[in-house]
Amino acid sequence: MLKISDLTARVAGKEILTGVNLTVNAGEVHAIMGPNGSGKSTLAQVLAGREDYEVTRGSVTFEGQDLLAMRAEERARAGLFLGFQYPVEIPGVNNVYLLKAALNAKRKAAGEPEVDAYEFLALIRQKMKFMQMSESFLTRGVNEGFSGGEKKRNEVLQMLVLEPKLAILDETDSGLDIDALKVVSTGVNSLRDPARAVVLVTHYQRLLDYVIPDQVHVLSGGRIVKSGDKSLAQELERRGYDWVMEAQVA
Amino acid sequence: MSAALRSFETQWRTRAPDALQPIRDAAMERFLKLGLPSLRDETWRYTDLRALGAQSYREAGCETPIAATPGAAASSAAASSAAAPSAATPSASLSLVSAGQHAATLTMINGCPVLDADLPDINGVEINSISELYKQDSARLRGFFEPASDADQRRWVLLNTALFIDGLYLKITQPVSTPIVIRHVSTGDGAQAAHPRVIIDASPGASATVIEHHLSEGDITPLNNSNTHIALGKGARLEHYRVFASGAGATHLDALDIDQAQDSLCRQFTIALGGGLVRSSLEARLRQPGASLESYSLLVGHQDRHVDCVNIVTHAAPNTQSRQTARAIAGDVSRVIFNSKVIVDAGANGADSKQSCRGLLLSPNAEIDTRPQLEIHADEVKCAHGATTGRLDPDMLFYMLSRGLDRETAQSLLVYAFLADVLTGMSVTSARAAIENALISQLPDSQTLRKFR
Repeated sequence: MLKISDLTARVAGKEILTGVNLTVNAGEVHAIMGPNGSGKSTLAQVLAGREDYEVTRGSVTFEGQDLLAMRAEERARAGLFLGFQYPVEIPGVNNVYLLKAALNAKRKAAGEPEVDAYEFLALIRQKMKFMQMSESFLTRGVNEGFSGGEKKRNEVLQMLVLEPKLAILDETDSGLDIDALKVVSTGVNSLRDPARAVVLVTHYQRLLDYVIPDQVHVLSGGRIVKSGDKSLAQELERRGYDWVMEAQVA
Repeated sequence: MSAALRSFETQWRTRAPDALQPIRDAAMERFLKLGLPSLRDETWRYTDLRALGAQSYREAGCETPIAATPGAAASSAAASSAAAPSAATPSASLSLVSAGQHAATLTMINGCPVLDADLPDINGVEINSISELYKQDSARLRGFFEPASDADQRRWVLLNTALFIDGLYLKITQPVSTPIVIRHVSTGDGAQAAHPRVIIDASPGASATVIEHHLSEGDITPLNNSNTHIALGKGARLEHYRVFASGAGATHLDALDIDQAQDSLCRQFTIALGGGLVRSSLEARLRQPGASLESYSLLVGHQDRHVDCVNIVTHAAPNTQSRQTARAIAGDVSRVIFNSKVIVDAGANGADSKQSCRGLLLSPNAEIDTRPQLEIHADEVKCAHGATTGRLDPDMLFYMLSRGLDRETAQSLLVYAFLADVLTGMSVTSARAAIENALISQLPDSQTLRKFR
């Protein structure tokens, strides 16, 4: 589904990704872990198509298509979803309107008719209930005045409505209390499907107790330095990132 | 002397004298002495009137254009809702009150009030011709014609006083719930000048909503030099709109004077959606304790439009309050200017003022200039001001793109959200809807955007 080969990228003139190689197949859940500043969020943003992040080398294919040749909105419509680490507040733009526009943009690209207003409301109510979100989210501006946890739930809500083929969740677990973490995990797990894939970018192992990954990768210095199964995450939790880095040097 | 000045002088000399003549003469003599304002004048430094001054002007006539009749207005409003959403220029068809809504509509054509048998009968509102009333009872109106001033922002008001043919005097005597719409229809050619004049005089305890709607027939219209004077008695409340929605060739020079007595409240909306050159000034005087002004400005620069908005608010008494909220957007090669000044007189302790001006540039070739100013002569005051101008927030834009929205839709939604602070303050829902509609038609991807409302 996703194949990243020797990807390097610069942000504000500084090389952040120094040669990332990663293959994610349909049906898999991958976790990308790593210390602060290792390039995890940059990788997520580059994959979503952020324009001020400059790709300097390498290639990325998404379902056989050249992802880097697509604009951010085209990637989204093709089924790629980024759950933001820091979802932006957009006062004045209604949360539900945005979601409806997003769903319709995707349907239009797929040659499907626009969603019926009544059906859409029923769908969103159902998903909100699942995410244990209050009805007030229907009328508020996008992320406007949301707490950190509410913003993350809202990201997962959007993901559930848009049903992406590939979801990249950038530290969706950070800042969540244990109850919210469970809700978010249930949301992510509900999307697990042989036809879909999930990439979890996370700093901590605790999300991986709830969403069990097929593969775990350690990103350090802008590239993947170690890969393994879920036991790697537990080992990282026990021994810290220094252990991987020291192993690298040795 | 410029060609414009010479032609105005000729009009003044050839006009038959009326009851207002001494006032007119004093104003004209001062105007001729001072001349047209130039870039050297404080409130005119961003607006160059030299091209305007090089032309000669005739008096614009009072003949009734077709669209001024109520029936035609209703049908053109219906036509506008069916029109293609890509129509970039709002026209005479913009209807600020919906067909089903109860509203009283008055019409002024090139500054001449249409005072015929169809005049609406509104409980609590007296409608008069200024010149007729002045003949009968000059004392009632004298206060609305202040002594000629040298201040540069009042230059065109002098000319209006000298040359206005007639005007509307509205006396609000009690709380009135029906919105009153004044349609200022501009018709003719660019070699004409009109000087519309309106007085809104609210008695103590009275309240009303007045919408002044400036529109044009066709793209080329007379020079419009309008003046509205609002006086609010003790505890009176007024929601006032002035909406500039003329064609791209129109020039508007509009001056609004607001005088507020004790505990009065004025909510004022200045909306620039049309016209080629729009210069709007607001001078408010919070004359007695407890007077409160809310001023909202929504200034839209589109194509090569030039919008210059000047607010001067004077806190002349203790415990007065003013709030100014301006949102300016400039696209294409347009230019939008918002200058606001708050003056707190000596002794006006407890004055509380806030100025918030935000500008949004939609094109690298557009320009926005904002200048909030304070002049404080009292000790115990609260005065806050803020002005920012920028482009669309790239993080917000990326967030929306990452959800699959078209770039144009995302941009339009952000622009729309930017203006929300002003739009949500409007309590006349039909006016708000019409203004939103006209606004959206000037934004990219208007068709998609309409679905969001």
